[in-house]
Amino acid sequence: MSQTNTLNVDYNYRVVRLFALTTVFWGIIGMAVGVLIAAQLYWPALNFETPWLTYSRLRPLHTNAVIFAFGTSALFATSYYIVQRTCQVRLFAEKLAMFTFWGWQAVIVAAVITLPMGLTSSKEYAELEWPIDILITLVWVSYAIVFFGTLVKRKTSHIYVANWFLGSFILTVAALHIVNSMAVPVSAFKSYSIYAGAVDAMIQWWYGHNAVGFLLTAGFLGMMYYFVPKQAGRPVYSYRLSIVHFWALIALYIWAGPHHLHYTALPDWTQSLGMVMSVVLFVPSWGGMINGIMTLSGAWHKLKTDPILRFLIVSLSFYGMSTFEGPMMAIKSVNALSHYTDWTIGHVHSGALGWVAMISIGAIYHLIPVLYNQGRMYSIALINTHFWLHTIGVVLYIVAMWISGITQGMMWRAVNTDGTLTYSFVQSLEASMPFYLMRFIGGVFVVAGMLLMAYNVYKTVRAKEESLQPVPAAA
Amino acid sequence: MLMEYSTIHSIFTVILFVAFVAFVIWAYSKKRKTDFDQAANLVFDDEQKAPQKNKQESGHE
Repeated sequence: MSQTNTLNVDYNYRVVRLFALTTVFWGIIGMAVGVLIAAQLYWPALNFETPWLTYSRLRPLHTNAVIFAFGTSALFATSYYIVQRTCQVRLFAEKLAMFTFWGWQAVIVAAVITLPMGLTSSKEYAELEWPIDILITLVWVSYAIVFFGTLVKRKTSHIYVANWFLGSFILTVAALHIVNSMAVPVSAFKSYSIYAGAVDAMIQWWYGHNAVGFLLTAGFLGMMYYFVPKQAGRPVYSYRLSIVHFWALIALYIWAGPHHLHYTALPDWTQSLGMVMSVVLFVPSWGGMINGIMTLSGAWHKLKTDPILRFLIVSLSFYGMSTFEGPMMAIKSVNALSHYTDWTIGHVHSGALGWVAMISIGAIYHLIPVLYNQGRMYSIALINTHFWLHTIGVVLYIVAMWISGITQGMMWRAVNTDGTLTYSFVQSLEASMPFYLMRFIGGVFVVAGMLLMAYNVYKTVRAKEESLQPVPAAA
Repeated sequence: MLMEYSTIHSIFTVILFVAFVAFVIWAYSKKRKTDFDQAANLVFDDEQKAPQKNKQESGHE
């Protein structure tokens, strides 16, 4: 499966290895914090009356850790790997690449310290205060220099489609971060956004939704366009479709942000525009999903024996599911029911745990043996166990949130004949409680799978060089 | 005479739509097929031996 023999190019795997290992580490931390706050919603006493252990401070830590520590480390690792392998050239500005590693770890450690202290700009998914924002900008600009510098000195004439997705992710995230983080500092740890009112809200969700669109989607699609063909041993189903997919996706995503602000002070036409763009977005999303899954056409049997491929392909099924659910929830009348309920949380996690985490886990399982000169991971059986733990965990999580969310939405909107509300808020909370327990159990499954992964990675990394022989291909 | 914003936006939308259609026609033109088949195999090109590499040539598309 993983051919370690390559052309006589001396690739820089050092920085890729570091990012790949931290992906696993931060994955465990970020998801474990998620499980803790899920438990706090069921057993409120678990905050131990300690301010820095409260849900309000740990929730941003959870989101930052899984998106920017786990997910983005996976993107750093795979993008540095893919750009070298498909351009057949060693990384450009390697010292700068090492700076992106240590700089990014410093950003994460700063987040782990400041968020529990309650230092926050209060912008969702952009909570970090201004000194950290400046460091993020420096790291990100260096990232762009390394990535595009490598593209410039490539030995191939064509730039493989995965690099287009990764490049658009790097450029767009730079623009999003810089525009959304514009703030006036009043002290070392406090700043105020330069935007106010509805404009602030629109900038925030232009940032927020395009973080989903370009970091959590385009970046990971870049990963998909390399690792799915590679693991399946066949080129992508349709290269033409992948090009149309790329341009259609990036042209549409940028407009979808207003669907986070339905029925707010945002002008009505802006809400409708966001809704229409979000619905249209369904088309390129599914084009990409079909392109990825159909890469396996004629080789479906590989799914039976290869749990890594299963991670990659099932991640695409979750991607298809959440990109159907998302446009539906962006329709104003559906949003009237779903917004502010647990349905949104379920939707996010079917994307985050189903799509983003599963494609990353599959990619890391593919990468680790290649990076450490092994024929395969230490234990294929453990990867299989991880696959089932993760899948069961995600399904428990999203089913719990669907039921809880729709229940909340129905109870909140129920009115008596005299116009008064049928239920109090606490009654809806009581109705959600069993599902909070179910969500917590789902989360435990996911973290248990990640711990197995850490063990498997450790055993592979520490194994004697080339001692793990590849499994003979079943086909 | 100064055009209204909505007129400019409408023209821009039509231009974008035409450009997109032209782009799709370009991507799916027969002339591009061999180039794209080659590009799709870039993933395997830096391997010394790529056992499955050539099996695909006629399978997809």
